[in-house]
Amino acid sequence: MGQNILYGIISVAICVGYFLMVDHFLMDMQGLDFWYMFRK
Amino acid sequence: MGLVTRKKVFSIMALCAMVGLLLFPVVVSLPSLAIGADAPDAAKKEDAKVEKGRDVYYKTEGIVVGAPAPKTVDGPKDYPRYNFESRVLLWFANQQHLYYGSFVLAVPIFCMVVEFMGVVTKDKALAKRYDQLAYDFIKISLTAYSLTAVLGGILIFTFLTLYPAFFGYLSSIFRPVMHIYALMFVAESGTLYIYYYGWDKMKEGFLKWIHLSMSVILNIIGTLLMFLANSWIGFMMSPAGVDEQGRFLGNIWHVLHTALWNPLNLHRILGNMAFGGGVVAAYAAYKFLASKTDEDRAHYDWMGYIAMALGVAFLIPLPFAGYWLMREVYAYRQQMGITLMGGLLAWLFIIQATMIGILFLSTNYYLWQAMGRMRGAEKYQRYIKYLVFILACGYLVFITPHTMVMTPAELKAMGGQQHPVLGNYGVMSAKNGGINVIITTTVLSFVWYMRGNKVSTVSWSKFGNIFMGCFFFFAYVNIIGLAIYGYYIPANVRVGLSVPQVATTLSCLFFMFALNSVMMKGAKQMGPIEWGKISARSQYALIMLATAFTWMMGLMGYIRSSVRLFWHVNEIMRDNSPWAYTHTVGFAANMISFNVLFFWISILFVFWLGSLAAKKVPAGEKAGVPGSAPQPAGSH
Repeated sequence: MGQNILYGIISVAICVGYFLMVDHFLMDMQGLDFWYMFRK
Repeated sequence: MGLVTRKKVFSIMALCAMVGLLLFPVVVSLPSLAIGADAPDAAKKEDAKVEKGRDVYYKTEGIVVGAPAPKTVDGPKDYPRYNFESRVLLWFANQQHLYYGSFVLAVPIFCMVVEFMGVVTKDKALAKRYDQLAYDFIKISLTAYSLTAVLGGILIFTFLTLYPAFFGYLSSIFRPVMHIYALMFVAESGTLYIYYYGWDKMKEGFLKWIHLSMSVILNIIGTLLMFLANSWIGFMMSPAGVDEQGRFLGNIWHVLHTALWNPLNLHRILGNMAFGGGVVAAYAAYKFLASKTDEDRAHYDWMGYIAMALGVAFLIPLPFAGYWLMREVYAYRQQMGITLMGGLLAWLFIIQATMIGILFLSTNYYLWQAMGRMRGAEKYQRYIKYLVFILACGYLVFITPHTMVMTPAELKAMGGQQHPVLGNYGVMSAKNGGINVIITTTVLSFVWYMRGNKVSTVSWSKFGNIFMGCFFFFAYVNIIGLAIYGYYIPANVRVGLSVPQVATTLSCLFFMFALNSVMMKGAKQMGPIEWGKISARSQYALIMLATAFTWMMGLMGYIRSSVRLFWHVNEIMRDNSPWAYTHTVGFAANMISFNVLFFWISILFVFWLGSLAAKKVPAGEKAGVPGSAPQPAGSH
């Protein structure tokens, strides 16, 4: 059970990090700011 | 010289002949490609009189070497007619030629892929089955090929008879490459026949590789043919290489390489492949339903699955190619984009969304049904209802229109043209989210199907499964999150969100397929795939898939053509015929349905002709036909 939780935490960290990177860099490549709403 | 050596020499000679056929049209036209056929004459006259023009798209200057676009008038000279709407006749001829053209260009590509799979696979029995399947594919396409040529002839006669001024102008612009097209067509025919009739002679070893190389040449020729044909429609929508009067400026590359040429090329090649897969799958479904023996059912079930899988592999990236095309349309002329997606033709896009949704729903339904023929896939059955829910939500958002057609009373009751709740789903932000959710769910269904009867034996399988679950979950979160985020930021930033949304979906497609393949390497099998033991409903789903493809192709062709409104060649040559108006949605839908019906009736005739040839095969040779049930797992 503990091992599953560890696997879950690692997976969540990788997935969240990956998708945030996808969002940030692909918007940046278009000259757009992904964090527009939060910076305003 | 031994028999084998002689065969090798002849095979290599045949391959060289094909390469020669491919290169010949290009070589003979090199001078015209460089400067245009009329340019040398024009250069000679340069001293006498040089008139220069400015390219409407590239903005470069060039020597005028062509006549201006004719200013047509409504009359028998420019628009001769029968007692019928000429545009409808042309529409019919064009659409039928396109259907068959797409089919005969797509099927050899399938054939190449399946033959390659047969050559590289180590399992001899499976290799033989792939080879037979590839042969079945090309056999179907061969009969259709003759009909495509006949329809091409009919199309040219329709143009010449009903729109001579327009056709004359277009021919004059494309004159430097017209003969390439004709020679390519000859090369395609020659290559196809050598490829088909050489099948039995080049079955094994080195000769098989030569045969496979021939399919590559065949497909290169077919693709080039399609690119040339696409350049005409690209020119009609977004002309280049001519000045504002429509005079050719001597650079044929500019005429070919218009703003929309490459997006059209990509969109059409993917669309053709998806369409071809759909038609072959429908053929297999029909044969499955008509089969009398388990062996035949197993074979056609397998054939239907392979054709569907290949078709869907190209269907998944198709919306993204469509998105690129639309983006380029907007970049070329914003008004054109607005006419398409926000104005006159917007309702047709709602119908298109409905059809796209049906395609994906049918695909998913087929995959869920197909899990029924695998022992061990029952574990996924209880989760399918959740996939249905997700798909239904995505689909409903995807098809919701921005505004509704209403009576004044309804308008008043609702408080405006937009519904207070549903109106929110009528914008691109929501629709991008909807379609990406649908595609991601289809990828998930595929992953489940691929691991249906298997249990991973890799040491890290637990982590792999948890990671895969997380990846899909966060992919959904990201897609839906970006769709919602789009409502809170300005339009110029919002438009960029579609790129990470698409990347998220594609990440699921590539990474999860790759991860699944690694996890399932050497996996324990719960039982074989029992080909042929699938519900009849699944086969109707395949027929539905093919019909929806056909209908959608007709619809999208109409939309693309209609966006020129009253222009033969956008902003260059005006359409002055009495039919230079946009039809009602109802009329267009009826016309598309008629074209679809005609295509399916005629292709049934083609299939029937093909079955006549099959019946002549001696009984002893039928032993080579693959598909005896059950087949070993792992063949998907």
